[in-house]
Amino acid sequence: MKSLTPADLLPITPQPVPPAEWVRVQLDTGGIAAGAESTLEELRAAVRELRPGLAVLPVGSHGRSFADPVVEIRSRGMPDTLYGRVTPEIAPELLTAHVRGHRMLDDHVLASTERGREVNGPVSHLLVLDTGAGEGKTAFFQFSFIEELKRRGLADQVQVVRALDIGIHDEGVVVQLLPGAVTYTNVLAPDVARIVEESIIQRRVLDDLLWKQPDPQVRIVLRNCGVIDPEELSDYLAQAQGYQALRRALVEMTPEQVIAEMKVSGLRGRGGAGFPTWKKWDLTRVQKTDQRYVICNADEGDPGAFMDRSVLESDPHTVLEGMIIAAYAIGSSMGYFYIRAEYPKAVARVERAIQQAREAGLLGKNILGTDFCFDAKIRLGAGAFVCGEETALIASIEGKRGSPSPRPPYPSVRGLWGKPTSINNVETFANVPAILLRGGAWYASHGVEGSRGTKVFAVTGKVNHAQLVEVPMGTTLRQIVFDVCGGVQDGREIKAVQTGGPSGGVIPDSQLDTPVAYETLQQLGSIMGSGGMIVMDATDSIVDVAKFYLKFCVDESCGKCAPCRIGGYQMSQILDRISRGRGTPDDIPTLRRICLAMQKASLCGLGQTAPNPVLATLRYFENEYLDHVKDHSCKALECSALVSVKLDQAKCIKCKLCIKNCPVGAVSADFVIDNAKCTRCNSCIEVCPKKAIARAPKSEE
Amino acid sequence: MTQRPHDPSAATEHPRESWKNDEAALLTMLEELEKRHGYIPHQISDEVGRVLEVRLERLRRIQTKLESSVRRDVQTQVARWKAEEGNLIMILHAIQNQHGYVPREVAMELSRELSVKLARIYEVITFYHYFKLQPPGKHNVTVCNGTACYLKGAGGLLAEIRNHLGVGEGQTTPDREFHVEVVRCIGCCGMSPAMVCDGKTHGRLKPTDVSGILAQMKTPAAAPAAAKEVHA
Repeated sequence: MKSLTPADLLPITPQPVPPAEWVRVQLDTGGIAAGAESTLEELRAAVRELRPGLAVLPVGSHGRSFADPVVEIRSRGMPDTLYGRVTPEIAPELLTAHVRGHRMLDDHVLASTERGREVNGPVSHLLVLDTGAGEGKTAFFQFSFIEELKRRGLADQVQVVRALDIGIHDEGVVVQLLPGAVTYTNVLAPDVARIVEESIIQRRVLDDLLWKQPDPQVRIVLRNCGVIDPEELSDYLAQAQGYQALRRALVEMTPEQVIAEMKVSGLRGRGGAGFPTWKKWDLTRVQKTDQRYVICNADEGDPGAFMDRSVLESDPHTVLEGMIIAAYAIGSSMGYFYIRAEYPKAVARVERAIQQAREAGLLGKNILGTDFCFDAKIRLGAGAFVCGEETALIASIEGKRGSPSPRPPYPSVRGLWGKPTSINNVETFANVPAILLRGGAWYASHGVEGSRGTKVFAVTGKVNHAQLVEVPMGTTLRQIVFDVCGGVQDGREIKAVQTGGPSGGVIPDSQLDTPVAYETLQQLGSIMGSGGMIVMDATDSIVDVAKFYLKFCVDESCGKCAPCRIGGYQMSQILDRISRGRGTPDDIPTLRRICLAMQKASLCGLGQTAPNPVLATLRYFENEYLDHVKDHSCKALECSALVSVKLDQAKCIKCKLCIKNCPVGAVSADFVIDNAKCTRCNSCIEVCPKKAIARAPKSEE
Repeated sequence: MTQRPHDPSAATEHPRESWKNDEAALLTMLEELEKRHGYIPHQISDEVGRVLEVRLERLRRIQTKLESSVRRDVQTQVARWKAEEGNLIMILHAIQNQHGYVPREVAMELSRELSVKLARIYEVITFYHYFKLQPPGKHNVTVCNGTACYLKGAGGLLAEIRNHLGVGEGQTTPDREFHVEVVRCIGCCGMSPAMVCDGKTHGRLKPTDVSGILAQMKTPAAAPAAAKEVHA
């Protein structure tokens, strides 16, 4: 590719993809783990026979991890359709039905999150899904619609499809008419005839059933994820206004103006601490030096968080563009991506993006014909959580142990190799091109006072639809968990939401209506963090969760300072004792005291925030600690030492499945469980067809 | 030192020629002689000594060959990263990718090449979880213990693996067949609990699935039906 000049970028405006028909297969780590690569192969083979003109394109992930592998199809005569759980086995069948038969496959459609207001053309498909508890009525309504359509002689014009997900939860039976995406909720049996008569035949919208709430999600960071091919620069240029923001910055703006625009946008660091991005850049810029560095922190170590991985894998050029703009703003000529080695796919795609950008003259000397020079390199992390902390990260890039050093001096004054360095998170960089393209004021129009823009969360744990969510700041936790992600699995009660990973806190059910923003979360004793959000239900023991996170921090402590090294160890011993039912009432004040010491006296962020999960759980769930300490009972029936497994002889049908499945032989021939042998692995509970086996508090014995 | 070709006539004198290349045969022969004579005749011990010297020399050459191969290897890596500052971690990544772990002799060679003290290199290797000092097993089982997997029962999977293999986190079975590793997060939280077996990710697992997967790893062709589909 020859070097690009500003003139080359000017005529490129967003235009439809060159192939008018395509199949996009979402290939990110999650998708590949679910078999997306084989799906891609199967689809390619099927297309060769079916319709050679159809392009099969690899793209990044849209974020709906629960439905991996995900495939999107655009073909003549059909609305654009997103399919989930497209395994290699069903891929050819699905494609043939869609392209040739103009039919969608039941139980695979992920409905559009657009909400139409009017029926424009003839309805060709009708999606139906019971979003209430149990999802029992979907098939019944599908049948009712088909019967009604048959009666009206429309059965061969409108196909009724059971959807996999429709983006609305707990609103009874939901129906979506395609094309147009007019969506009706709480549909009852008498409404079936009305919908067919008025909406399908007369093309009138039924106002009483219409779902008017727009989707709570706003996609800025994830705008290109699942749309462009992450391995092709040309795709990014043609479809995503790629490097237009860089052109604007280099040709039309001074570095000061770029920083001023960032100030207007109100963007704050998305790595968790929320330091204003413009300020960080400005502080680095004003240092008098011959060399400044810019670093992209992609050491996403929080367990249960995968936002940065997804963005790097799905849209690496946006992050790179953001980094080049940052380098221009602070006057740097060298940048580093610090990526976890555990993310090989992300590393490979960023490497390719850098390579392509270099060939196109977007990296290197005289970028876009200006006198601005910048190059970027990759450095791999090696599995140390503390390296997400900026001083430790710098030490690691320098090839040393990732030990943190005291701040100040901050990296913006003395950073990599002693030079001023600006370290920004992946998500922060991904926001930058959008801000420069559409203006800081536009960006600031999203979100709330103090926390502008959107935030990506990886919602996982006991949630129905584990996925990436991007919402404007100020959206409540309840909206994220229930409206976007469909609430808790198996209809259980939600107990708490954990945010911010091992440095964050636990937010109880009662506080879920808090709008998400940097300050509000801090008031609740948690932090925004990088965006991991883990949902816990009533079967999760809070003590156990606190122990899990603390153990993580103890493992990851570098051992340099005593409060973190010794305090963490002592606390984990105490928690271990409590979860075994051997705690004493004195333990709780002791825990609080150690927490305070660690917070105040630890050297770096890891040690200062390690007690957060313990403090937050003590704050909201002290009763549960007291249950463990005083009554030696675990209400969640989670702490193995405090529960027994019991078999209800009255329910038992003597099928011997439990005996067969017990890995340690704890179930005797006359169906009595030996709790001394039992490892509480739940195997028997899961296989029992009569639910005769259950966990019970130990004191009952 | 030049290697003198061994006199062929000496070899034909002895009925069993194989002793020159086979230590076990040599030892048996010497024991027989000792039994027969009560001692080993000095003509024989001289002859054996000569043969041993030749063999030692050959082995030494093999050793130098290996060493120079290690050195060349390390030199290529170092040359690739020489110009960069702070290259140690990137070189260690390259070494681990090649060997599956960081062998001691390679680390020693690296220390010479980079003029960095061996202790400095080990300081880095032992700090980061990613670098290993032991060779991995033939089959690798990696259990994800990220928060999502933890809440959904990664502990149960680990216990089940321990039941089957007798080893836990970070251990290798004595026959080097299986190596069990626990990692923070493999980024497949949508399919938790998950584990990676020889590069293939299995998701939404129950403890009862473990035995089938392990059996399948041992004999890949024999039990395809036992594999759990990730979309189940």
